[in-house]
Amino acid sequence: MPRTRKQPARTWEAAATPEASGPVIVTRAPNASQYLLPLEAAPPRMETRQSQTVDRLWFCVYLPKLPLEAMPVPAGNPDGARVLCEDRQGMQRVLLPDGRARTAGIVPGQSASAALALMADAVLIERSVECERQTLENLAAWLEGFSSCVSIAGPNVLVLEIAGSLRLFGGLRALRRQIAVGLEAKGFDANLAIAPTPLAATWIARFGRRACIREATNLMPVLRRLPLRCLDWPANLCATLKGMGMETVGDCFRLPREGFVRRFGSRLLMELDQAAGHLPDPRTSWRAPERFSARHEMTAEQSDRQLLLNLCESLLEDHEHFLLLRQQGTQQVRFAFFHLRAPATVLCVGCADVERSARHWFELLKIRFERFSLPEPVIAVSLEGGPPRPLNRHSATFSFERRPVNGASYSMRQLAERLAARMGDTAVCRLGTREDHRPERAGLLQTASSFRPAAKSGASQVCPAAQPGALSAPQRPLWMLPEPERLGVREGQPWHKGRLHLLSGPERLETGWWDSHGISRDYYRARGPRGHTLWVFRRRERQQADDWYLQGYFG
Amino acid sequence: MTGEIPSVETLLDSPHVWRGHGRAHSSAGLSSGYPALDRCLPGGGWPLHALSEILLDDYGIGELELLMPALASLTARGSEPKDQDTPAWVAWIAPPFQPYPPALAEWRIDVSRVLVVRPRNAQEVLWSAEQALSCGTCAAVLLWPARLDDQSSRRLQLAAEKGASWAVAFRPLQARREPSAAALRIVLEAAAAGTNLSIIKNRGGQPAVLKRFFKHTSGADGG
Repeated sequence: MPRTRKQPARTWEAAATPEASGPVIVTRAPNASQYLLPLEAAPPRMETRQSQTVDRLWFCVYLPKLPLEAMPVPAGNPDGARVLCEDRQGMQRVLLPDGRARTAGIVPGQSASAALALMADAVLIERSVECERQTLENLAAWLEGFSSCVSIAGPNVLVLEIAGSLRLFGGLRALRRQIAVGLEAKGFDANLAIAPTPLAATWIARFGRRACIREATNLMPVLRRLPLRCLDWPANLCATLKGMGMETVGDCFRLPREGFVRRFGSRLLMELDQAAGHLPDPRTSWRAPERFSARHEMTAEQSDRQLLLNLCESLLEDHEHFLLLRQQGTQQVRFAFFHLRAPATVLCVGCADVERSARHWFELLKIRFERFSLPEPVIAVSLEGGPPRPLNRHSATFSFERRPVNGASYSMRQLAERLAARMGDTAVCRLGTREDHRPERAGLLQTASSFRPAAKSGASQVCPAAQPGALSAPQRPLWMLPEPERLGVREGQPWHKGRLHLLSGPERLETGWWDSHGISRDYYRARGPRGHTLWVFRRRERQQADDWYLQGYFG
Repeated sequence: MTGEIPSVETLLDSPHVWRGHGRAHSSAGLSSGYPALDRCLPGGGWPLHALSEILLDDYGIGELELLMPALASLTARGSEPKDQDTPAWVAWIAPPFQPYPPALAEWRIDVSRVLVVRPRNAQEVLWSAEQALSCGTCAAVLLWPARLDDQSSRRLQLAAEKGASWAVAFRPLQARREPSAAALRIVLEAAAAGTNLSIIKNRGGQPAVLKRFFKHTSGADGG
């Protein structure tokens, strides 16, 4: 197993830091014979150190059938017996048969053709190491919910430190049950073991015993009885040891240490010491990536939109769980639909506020998906979360009034998002005012992407103007044209579907000389022939009497 | 029959008695700010939680001025600190021109609570109006649909009831002859002396005509 073989070198470097104040061994170079000598002479000191350190408890999840469980169930034959095969020296060999294939007589190591001869309808599945790694990492991410220290200890082994989590999860038994039930629900057949050192937990789990050892004093008797095959040492080494009459771990412990090192190298002895708790065994804790990314592969191309939506929903649920563990949300998710014969189609869904709820994202996705066309059938769907942001929940006071009875109420922000999701960001605007005398610039349109919950400064934006219905008429029209419209002039009077009568004015606006949009205009209220009231102006720059424009209507 | 003769009030309270006008009277209207109009409307004002239609041919004859006092009171209601979260938004869907924020502010409307939606086609106008009405957060939804058939108006009416929101649809005068599920239909017509307002459908009330509702004067009066 390449991972564990690399372990000691790393462990040595890592061990140097926590043990700085401790024994002599770490100050020396990692030379085998040098570091072993003080160990041999000092068993009592080992014990004193152990009593000083905080008791740790390691939980090992060993997945013997991971290569098979990581592969998706074939769509064509979901109930058929499955046999996992691997290419060994140019020949397909059985790596792992499932229960039914095993009863048919298929055993690991057989050639694929022999397996098919035994069971004609068996489904042969090619092993995918990438798939296993992905599955293991997903499991590690899930286990991060139980402990802050989860470590991937091998291609199918996860260990997590649980001493710190016991109180939170209501004791060892409850925690163990939660993990066991969770693994079962995810469809994994796992061996679980708990021991004070990570290696011991791994070995016991590999042995297949459902052991739970809390006290360091109870560890050695169990370890001694373990057969050598649990140690995942190279096969030829195990054969040599067996030839020497070594059957169990306890036999190895009885060997003279110096001789053991000389013959098999220092690394194996260090593993034994680490498993027994005589040497520290620091583990690097695995960290799930910051951004969510998941992909769902299908065995056959699909163009059923409802099915694709359901896939997206389950991806969003994973996404929500991912963010929930981190207490974060995101503002964007990106779906990619992969086709066999065309480049992937991408669908980005944005949200005005930081959000993680799968239901909310799904609502937005549904609206976008309605008018989203897929050029080809889809073979895989992937979801990538945007950069995670801390959630900013706005606390609201309790409100007991004016609630719709059906409970279908959602906030203004959600409404704006729904509208923008269907019609585009620019279709939904909010209004604002700006301190400017130029009529075109005093009003403001903000798009929905800048949407924030109701500004508290709203009241300050309301000018202390005339009371409605009071004597003074409104100064500004309620309707504005996007651009002033040039008016015709007849007999010296402005003309708009008829002759305009000027009611009041002029109101001279001459401002903005400091930038390139300065104006110099005389504004009038005018009545049109059909009774509507207009807001018109005459430009003063040209010194012409007939330069009239329509700016808006008094609605 | 022996025993006490029940009073009229007890009889009327009985669930077996249904009164035709009861429903319209039960919901108080939202005062329009114009006493003459309030007197004609059954609840003493605009029928909330229902669809109203305003039929007119020319913009700029006082159609917005008619609504402004009511909208101002709606947005002001929501900005009080005690009910920050209650519906107090006003959505404008597909307005023919751009609503001008400083003018709205002059009418004491909280412009930060106005949402302007510009859909791309007639179908989206109705869709967004329905969304806005039923979401329960918009106190009022003003919409300018290109056309509005009987069925759509019924949908809007239902959405307004569901979301407890006030829907106002602005429609051309020719829609006068078409059936509509609106609770209130008002025709605005500009005449020489001012804008005439006539109520052609008034659920729970009587049709009425208010001549020269907005008067034209040569002076500074609005219209």
